[in-house]
Amino acid sequence: MTIYLSIILFLPGVAGMLALLVPRRLAGWTLVTGTLLTLAYTIVMLARFKIGGGMQFVTDDNWISELGIRYHLGVDGLNLFLVILTALLWVPASIAAALREWDRPRLFMMFMGLSETAVLGAFMAQDLALFVVFFDLMLVPFYFLVGMWGGEDRVYATTKLVIYTLAGSLLMLAAAVALGVMATPAGGHISFSLATLAQHPLSGGSQYWLFILFAVAFLVKAPAFPLHGWMPDAYREAPLPVILVFSAVVSKVGVYGFLRIVLPVLPQASVHFQELMLAIAVVSILYGSILAFSQDEARLVLGYSSVAQLGFIILGIFSLDPKGGQGAVMQMINHGLVTAPLFLIIGYLAIRAQGRDSLDWMGGMALRAPVLAGVFLIVALATLAMPGSANFVGELYILFGTFQSKIVYGIVASAGVVLAAVYMIRFYQRAMHNPVGPQVESRDLALGPELGVIAPLVLVILALGVYPNFLLHRINAFAPTANDRTEVSVIK
Amino acid sequence: MSATAWGWLVLAFPLAGTVVISLGWRALPGRMAGWLGSGAILAAFVCAVGATVKLQKLAPHARHASSTLFDYAHSAGINIGMSIYVDPLSLFMALVVSGVSFLIHVYSVSYMTSDRGYSRYFAYLNYFVFSMLLLVLAGNIIILIVGWAGVGMASYILISFWYRRTTATAAGMKAFVMNVIGDVALVLAAFLLWRHAGHHVSFNGIFAGSKQAFGTNNGTLIAACLLLTVGAFAKSAQVPLHTWLPDAMEGPTPVSALIHAATMVTAGVYLIARFHPLYELAPTAADITAGFAAFTLFYAATCALAITDLKRIIAYSTISQIGYMMLGVSTGGYDGGLFHLMTHAFFKALLFMGAGSVIGAMAGIQDIDRMGGFRKSMRFTYVTFVVGALALASFPPMSGWFSKDEILGFDVHRGGYYLVLAIIGFAAALITAFYSFRMVFRVFHGAAVPEAQSLERGELAHGEHLNPMTGEHEDTDVGFPGAEHHIAEREWPMKFAMSILAVLAIIGGIVGIPGVTHWLRNFLDPVFADSKFINTQPTDTSSWIGLVVGAGIALAGITIAYVCYIRQPGTTGRIAARVPALQRLFVNRWYWDELYDALFVRPSATLGNFGRYVVERAFVQGTLVGGATRIVGVGTAIARGLENGYIRAYAVLMLLGFGGLGLYFLLQAAF
Repeated sequence: MTIYLSIILFLPGVAGMLALLVPRRLAGWTLVTGTLLTLAYTIVMLARFKIGGGMQFVTDDNWISELGIRYHLGVDGLNLFLVILTALLWVPASIAAALREWDRPRLFMMFMGLSETAVLGAFMAQDLALFVVFFDLMLVPFYFLVGMWGGEDRVYATTKLVIYTLAGSLLMLAAAVALGVMATPAGGHISFSLATLAQHPLSGGSQYWLFILFAVAFLVKAPAFPLHGWMPDAYREAPLPVILVFSAVVSKVGVYGFLRIVLPVLPQASVHFQELMLAIAVVSILYGSILAFSQDEARLVLGYSSVAQLGFIILGIFSLDPKGGQGAVMQMINHGLVTAPLFLIIGYLAIRAQGRDSLDWMGGMALRAPVLAGVFLIVALATLAMPGSANFVGELYILFGTFQSKIVYGIVASAGVVLAAVYMIRFYQRAMHNPVGPQVESRDLALGPELGVIAPLVLVILALGVYPNFLLHRINAFAPTANDRTEVSVIK
Repeated sequence: MSATAWGWLVLAFPLAGTVVISLGWRALPGRMAGWLGSGAILAAFVCAVGATVKLQKLAPHARHASSTLFDYAHSAGINIGMSIYVDPLSLFMALVVSGVSFLIHVYSVSYMTSDRGYSRYFAYLNYFVFSMLLLVLAGNIIILIVGWAGVGMASYILISFWYRRTTATAAGMKAFVMNVIGDVALVLAAFLLWRHAGHHVSFNGIFAGSKQAFGTNNGTLIAACLLLTVGAFAKSAQVPLHTWLPDAMEGPTPVSALIHAATMVTAGVYLIARFHPLYELAPTAADITAGFAAFTLFYAATCALAITDLKRIIAYSTISQIGYMMLGVSTGGYDGGLFHLMTHAFFKALLFMGAGSVIGAMAGIQDIDRMGGFRKSMRFTYVTFVVGALALASFPPMSGWFSKDEILGFDVHRGGYYLVLAIIGFAAALITAFYSFRMVFRVFHGAAVPEAQSLERGELAHGEHLNPMTGEHEDTDVGFPGAEHHIAEREWPMKFAMSILAVLAIIGGIVGIPGVTHWLRNFLDPVFADSKFINTQPTDTSSWIGLVVGAGIALAGITIAYVCYIRQPGTTGRIAARVPALQRLFVNRWYWDELYDALFVRPSATLGNFGRYVVERAFVQGTLVGGATRIVGVGTAIARGLENGYIRAYAVLMLLGFGGLGLYFLLQAAF
């Protein structure tokens, strides 16, 4: 059976379009079916995936021949699990969406489906221009999802989100065009193929400013300090299923871009700016962690903890060491896998605290909800990368890589491991432990709509904790489209 | 069946117990969860015996085996197997851990009966034992770290077991965070050893690689060893990472007995014994460790002297006794250190169980100022508690007498710096004997308090439910802690566990009587055969001199306590009044908590608020966002004449544009 990546790519979008046509109450379940089928197909792909087999299931067609843009998709050790993660996490998100009442549900489901297609496209694109298209396309559904269905201050939040990400996107668009033009040999055909671009690196000077443009776009998306200004409002206002996928999956597109595009195509600049990026990573880790344990709103605890966790991922990438890279990719998956259930849990907590998701209104919920408490504890411990979780292995690889290349940054970043324990345990305790909150009406997880959605994710977390090599064995962070020369020049 | 197969079974039973209890807790009737948990640990103990028998049949130098189930993480030059390593040291630990754990499980079956979280408790306890056994059986440093963190996590959830008490959750947090500091130190140590000693994570690989890569007192090796020490100190509550252990007494008393006395907190001792080849190669690191250990054992003894919370006295005593073990293993007296680890597990678990029984009779009160005269009403608890106290005071011929003095005798024999450390140890031994009997005399002797009187009439006191630390009222309708209290006199499982431990506390010394038996040393010798201290053992005569000195000190300490509390009650009060500064220092535990509060806790809270209110508001939101918004504002104002100025419209246009463009080129590509 041949795997067609185009099917993976367009299935969710098509399901979203179908949701526009079916009766209102079926819209959500149409989308759920689409995401489930997508997931099933990616699992078949995982089974077919050849370990160490390089770029696989490639689709490469001419798209806009005048501009040398190709419809070029592929899956390798770098994006395999990111594609699966996307397919996996849109399932609980769309189920959570389907279980809720929405204003104009069909439109909502359409945008959810469209957003999955956009994210999958960004992960699978092997052509820089195609990547840029999908990267920008992501913005559109999220703009509507936050702007139309968000909380009270949704307009303000959306405006900020759009300004930030649009600015990043435009910079990247400019950089991508410049890269394509500058890399074209005189009289030759313009090409945005990442493999081709990696084979013809530019001179040092042009690499440097292109690097900065890409880096800004990707760091905004993550977000990393100090480009996270959009994050608190977006996290606060976005509907829960939306912020779930945004935090768990979309935030990885940026850091993925570093590995897929920046390191192979701009190797000299990556080495040149290594310490700057490590410094940004370390500051993000420490700043995000400290802010995470100063927040009273559950969503913001997660928001700032994401800043810290993505700091670790950036740290691993810019250790420019194979161990760090492997750890970074692994941590992208792990972070997605724990963030999604954490947002589901915030939803469950809010239901039990009269719709409020502030920690001030929670407390003592474990009492009548032992299953919820157990699930939450497992996810919280995985988030703080307790040894025994796959997150620990990811962090171990990141730290080993960083210790090896720049030990000082590694040691400072280690403080982030301790701080992660502080903010996650604090989060857990203030919700589940201590005296019961003023208006808490605790009850345990409902079997179908709550436990049924979260339990599969928790099982995946547990299974990967026992056998993290399942990921590690298939991940190949540093030999994507990059040719051997890149490996030599970037990876010491 | 091979020794390693037995080893995997040792791990399998507690894990299965955890899974069964945590999934089936609704279906388990009555005390079933407790018995199921106890049975799982008993099975683990039997398997550990099986592995030991199997291993002892081999020639001494061949008594080790490792086994790998699968690749845990194998990528980018790091190869970590899910592996266990079975040798006399790991089996010794596995035997002590599973044996004592079994008894404490049985005790808990009664002690936790009326607690609403009964099944949850045993699920946690089984998980703890699984992690602890994984820690001691681990075949490489990464799996060791997994077990290491697992026991830390189990410790956390059990400290905060009664999670409606804010004191319990705060104590859990403190314990967890301090343990994570230790975990991070271990990860760094693992990296240094991996990087410089030939890319190994397995113990034997690291040792072989280190011998090649490092000369004596190599700087990197010293750093690695000191990081291991930090890990060990965090877990074993040694100064300066000790402040979490007294607070950990917020957990149920059997938890204190199991995790915070007998097993988990001794993991640091195991760690140093396991990595002894490195410490012998880096004597400076070993000496620093020993110095801190000696300070700890003295410091904690002085705290135990002054405070009045029964469980916390025993907790400080634990810190102090682990200091002795640390002193032993870091100065080369491995047999002594591990011997004391074993006997301490017996008598300290026993003391905690006795304390639990007394606290049950006091309806939850833990302050010894409120206790007294339980001698008559709690005959069984009294006798076993005295046995434990005698062993702790290292009174002959109790087990603690042989083990503690073996450590000190070894250091006297090494002389010089170690002689100084040993003298500190003897000085602390006097304090130890004193505070041991301070507990005995103040709890069991003297005038009977109302609770003791009512118990003499055959009624268990039912006090109001108060948080023992804050005095706050607790609503018991939710059932944690349980509404009922339990004392050993009335519960056979508690009696059973305490009787066995009492016997072991008395006769446990039999495995290492100088000149008579060397069972423990012979058993452990294959592990330490490469040690340079293997022939540095003191002679039997000097050992016996040490034992006699130790006995004299113990007797002196007990006598002083007798005079102070029985003959002339009030003596201690007069002494304390004479030196109020010292009294305040001891009662406030030398102000460590206050120091950390000022150094770390408050600054980080301030930093957090600074970030939240200043950086986020002024810089990120104000300058960056505000600036950008203003620019856009100007831009839209200009554009407003041409367009309608709504971002939503732009986005729709963008979407349509994308769609149209995509469709156009798709069609173009298709045809």
